[in-house]
Amino acid sequence: MIVGTRKPLAEIQRMVRGARRLLLAGCDTCVAECAAGGRKEVGELAAALMMAFRLAGEEVEIRETSVDRQCIHEFLLEVVEAAAGAEAVISLACGAGVQALAARLPETPVFPALNTQFIGETAERGLWLENCRGCGDCLLGLTGGICPISRCAKSLLNGPCGGAAGGLCEINKAKKFDPEVPCAWLQIYDRLSALGQLERLLELAPPKDWSQGEAGGPRRVLRPDQRP
Amino acid sequence: MRKKPEVVVLACQQALPETGPLVEALEGAGLRARAVPEPCSSKIEAFHLLRLLAVEADCVWVVACPPELCLFREGSSRLGKRLEHAREYLTEIGLEPQRLNLTRLSPGEPVDHTRLATDMADTARTLGLNPGCRGRGLKKEQPQ
Repeated sequence: MIVGTRKPLAEIQRMVRGARRLLLAGCDTCVAECAAGGRKEVGELAAALMMAFRLAGEEVEIRETSVDRQCIHEFLLEVVEAAAGAEAVISLACGAGVQALAARLPETPVFPALNTQFIGETAERGLWLENCRGCGDCLLGLTGGICPISRCAKSLLNGPCGGAAGGLCEINKAKKFDPEVPCAWLQIYDRLSALGQLERLLELAPPKDWSQGEAGGPRRVLRPDQRP
Repeated sequence: MRKKPEVVVLACQQALPETGPLVEALEGAGLRARAVPEPCSSKIEAFHLLRLLAVEADCVWVVACPPELCLFREGSSRLGKRLEHAREYLTEIGLEPQRLNLTRLSPGEPVDHTRLATDMADTARTLGLNPGCRGRGLKKEQPQ
């Protein structure tokens, strides 16, 4: 899923300055799971903005809506309808959702309430970890299902660097993490060992084709069989 | 424009089965008061707390069970964390976090409504009217 975090209230206020009728639009899938942009968070932000505007001496009308997925146009019909009369829309979706909504609302400014962080998993209650960079050339089959691109601080392809100690990545020495970041390559070793597939580590990974990832410019997937 | 601070009490029915005496005591202390019985404090979300402050209340008070006595095991402790999350919003806005409060009462034990009302009334009076609330017509200054 896509993980996001809310922008500071003051930044959101600055973005919509001058607008007197706002619509807040949530997205009830990824960003709801990470407690940043679902309908509950829409309710929190709406109430907080109302109070913040009043403290600034402004009365702003704020409406709320939320749909299952802002990144899919069919789901956006409800938001487009709710946006009638709004001078600005604040989207609590990820960047993809914000852009899809903006494309549907050519005459209404759409602003992001979240900073989109990464593709990740809910590791524990209240803890989300990045575990996919969307590199376009998945290596998980070689690494026991643990991604060295996203989970190794150096994105190494062939084993750990010399900095790992006590099962932990050396990035813990540079920055405070709670819980601490494990060495992904140690995790890969442990996983393959448990699977009885340590021989996989003898295969050398060739230089990675980074052009399949974000280094290759805007990406797209085109499926002729799915096209109209 | 209202002059009396309004307190909204969200009361777990295990911790505070009877809210009438508390509301009476608060009104007797010169406040406006409303109590909302909740099946468990775990049902209270951060957006409930913030909305109450945005549209109605000067002070919101949750009455919950101690974490170890919660009917739904973790409900009360999680409520405590959500309340802290809502308070962080207040700090960010520039409102006093004390406008959201929590009292824990053990279920089945006698409740001193007068003392509870005194705590609430003292806090509400000290904070004054909520300038972020609809209809207050205030900016920064708050009458006592």
